[in-house]
Amino acid sequence: MNNEFIAKIEGHGNLTIDWKKNQVKLNIHEGERLFEGLLVNRTAEEMHWITPRICGICPIAHNLASLTALESALGIEVNSTTVLLRDLMQCGQMIQSHSLHLFFLSLPDYLGIDRGTELAQKNPEAFKSALALKGISDEIAKIIAGRSVHPTRTTIGGFHKIPTKSVLEKLLKKLKKTEQDAKNALILVSKIDFPELKVELQLAALDGSKIIAVSSNNIKGRKESPIGDYKEVIEEEVRDYSTAKFGKYRGEEMLVGSLARLAVYGDYDKKYKIDFENPFYNNLAQAIEILTYHQKAQKIIEKLLNNEIDKKIAKPSKNPSLRGIGTTEAPRGGLYHEIHLNKDNIITYANIITPTVQNLTSIEKSAKSLLEQTKNRSKKELERLLVMLVRAYDPCITCSVH
Amino acid sequence: MQKPKIAIYDFTDCEGCQVKLIELKEKLLVLEKRVDIVNWRLGQENNKPGPFDISIIEGTPITQHEIDLLKKLRKESKILIGLGSCATLGGIPGIINKSQRKKWYKKIYGDNYKPRGIDALPLSAYVKVDFLIHGCPVDKNELIRIMEDLLAGKEPKYRGYSVCFECKQANNPCRLLDNPLTGETGKPCLGPIIQGGCGAICISGGSPCYGCFGLREGAEVKNLLKVLNKITDKKTIDRYFSMFLNKVEK
Repeated sequence: MNNEFIAKIEGHGNLTIDWKKNQVKLNIHEGERLFEGLLVNRTAEEMHWITPRICGICPIAHNLASLTALESALGIEVNSTTVLLRDLMQCGQMIQSHSLHLFFLSLPDYLGIDRGTELAQKNPEAFKSALALKGISDEIAKIIAGRSVHPTRTTIGGFHKIPTKSVLEKLLKKLKKTEQDAKNALILVSKIDFPELKVELQLAALDGSKIIAVSSNNIKGRKESPIGDYKEVIEEEVRDYSTAKFGKYRGEEMLVGSLARLAVYGDYDKKYKIDFENPFYNNLAQAIEILTYHQKAQKIIEKLLNNEIDKKIAKPSKNPSLRGIGTTEAPRGGLYHEIHLNKDNIITYANIITPTVQNLTSIEKSAKSLLEQTKNRSKKELERLLVMLVRAYDPCITCSVH
Repeated sequence: MQKPKIAIYDFTDCEGCQVKLIELKEKLLVLEKRVDIVNWRLGQENNKPGPFDISIIEGTPITQHEIDLLKKLRKESKILIGLGSCATLGGIPGIINKSQRKKWYKKIYGDNYKPRGIDALPLSAYVKVDFLIHGCPVDKNELIRIMEDLLAGKEPKYRGYSVCFECKQANNPCRLLDNPLTGETGKPCLGPIIQGGCGAICISGGSPCYGCFGLREGAEVKNLLKVLNKITDKKTIDRYFSMFLNKVEK
C-alpha cells in the first residue's frame, strides 16, 4: 500500500502496515506550505484573507479563527449582528464540508460505489438530497461570506457587506425547503452497519473559552482546560515519516470533530445509538450534525430578521495586547490560530493547530486496534477496512500540513 | 466516438479548486457523460494510468515527487491544463521564497527535520502548460466555458479584458479613487492589470484584488505603479504584488 496515495481523502497520505506487530503508520506526503512563516511580515488585515487558503474544504473555519485571533489581539468586541452572521457562516461550513465528505468521499465505501456521482444511478433520491445540501450550504457561504470557497466579505471587526433582510428571507425559505434533505441524509446514514471497533481515545471539543475532553469509554467525566493553554493541552510532535505534526491531548491519543462534539455537547436525539468508542461512528455523527446545523441556521436567520441589523464595523481598543488566540469548531474539530502583531499591525508571529493534526495520532491507534480486533479477514480485506477507517475520520491532510 | 480520457491530479494546495469542480453538481454529471474520468484521486478509487487526452492539474509541484510526476504527466497527456492559482502562478504558497524556506523549516519543525518541499512554483516552471484556468479559487463559469471549448476541440481563449472592466460592470465604486460618499480615500488595487474572468468577486465583497487571475496580456504594470505610488508606500505595493504574482515574471 506504500506507493499510492489513499483515494477520496483531502490531501496526500498512505499507510505502512507492519502485519506482525499490527502496527500502522500514516505517512503524510503533502508538501510544506509554511503558512506560519509566510504570514510573518504581512498585515493583520491580510491574515484572514490568507489563512482560508490553508484549506478549500474548510476555508470559512480558518477565516473565522483568524478573525477572532486578530480581534482578541486588537481588543475588538464585535456587535451581535456580526456574531450571528459568523455563526451562520459556520453552519454553512459544517453542512458544506460534511455533505461533501459523506456523499463524495465516505459513503461510497458503504454503498458499493466508487465515485460519489454514481449515487445518481444507484439511489437518485439520496443523490438529489446530497446536491440540495451542497447547494444550500454553498448558498449560505455565498450570501454571508461572499463566495462558496474563500470568503470575500469578512473583515476585522465585522463585515464589509451584509445581506439585506429580503435576501435573508429568501435564504430562510430555501433552508425550510431543504430540511427534508438533511433528514433524508440522516436516515440513509443511520441505516449503515458500521464495522466493529473499540478504542480508548480522548474526545475533545471547544466550549466557549474552554477545551473540554472526555474519554471515549466514559463521556460523563469532563476535563476542562482554558483555551489559553492550548499549546500545553495539545502537544505536537514531529515524526520523520510525515510533513504534518502529530497531536496528542496531554500525552494521550485524541479524536476531534463531529463524534467528539456529540460526546462533549450531548445535543442530539438519543434515539441514535452512537458508539463513542468506535471512530467509524464519526460518519453518523456528521449526518446528525448536518441536520443540527441546518436547523440552527434557520434559527439564526429568524433572529437576524427579528432584530435591527447593525452594519457597524467594530474598532480596535486604545491599548490592545497585540496578542490573540482565535478558535472555532471547524467541521473536523477544534481549530486554533494564535497571532502576535507589532504596533503597526504587522504580524510578527503566527501559530496554527488544525483539527487533523489532533486526529493523526488516534488514526494510527485506531488502525492498530482494528487489526488486533478484526479476525478471519484476508490482508486485502483488512487493507480495505483500514482505508475506510481513515476516511471515516475525514482527515484533511491539506489542513494538517499548513 | 471514444470519449476523451481525463485525469485530474492535485499537488500541494488547498484543494479548493476541486471543490469548485464538485460544486458544478448537475453540470458535473453532464460533464461526466461527455468524458471518461479515468484518474481522479480525490473523487474515486478506481484510477487508471495514462496516457490521457487531457490532464487537469491543481496545486504547486513543491516536492520532488510532484515535480517528477508533473514531468511524467506532461509526457502522457495530449493537453495539460493548470487548475487554479497554485498551478498557474505558484499561488499563496509562492509568497515564500526558496531562500527563506530553510529558516522556517527550522522554526516550525525543528533542527532534525528533513524537508520535502523545494520551492512553490507554477507548473510552467517545469513543463509546457497548454492552458491556465486561473483563480483562487477558480470561477465556476470560467470552468464551464473552458471545459466546453476543450471538449468541442477548440483552443480556449483568455479573457481579453481586465478585472477593472468586470468591476465596472458589477457597479463597484473604484477602489483606487477617493469615495466622496463614504469619505474613504483610495486604496491599492491590482484590478487594472489583472486578467478578467472572476467577475470582480473579491472587490464586490469589499476585499482587495491581489491578482489571482494573473497579469493580462499587455498589462500596463508601470502605469499602475505610478498610480499606486501616489496612494501608498513601497512596502504595501510589494505586499500586493507578492500575494499571487511573486513567482511570475512581471
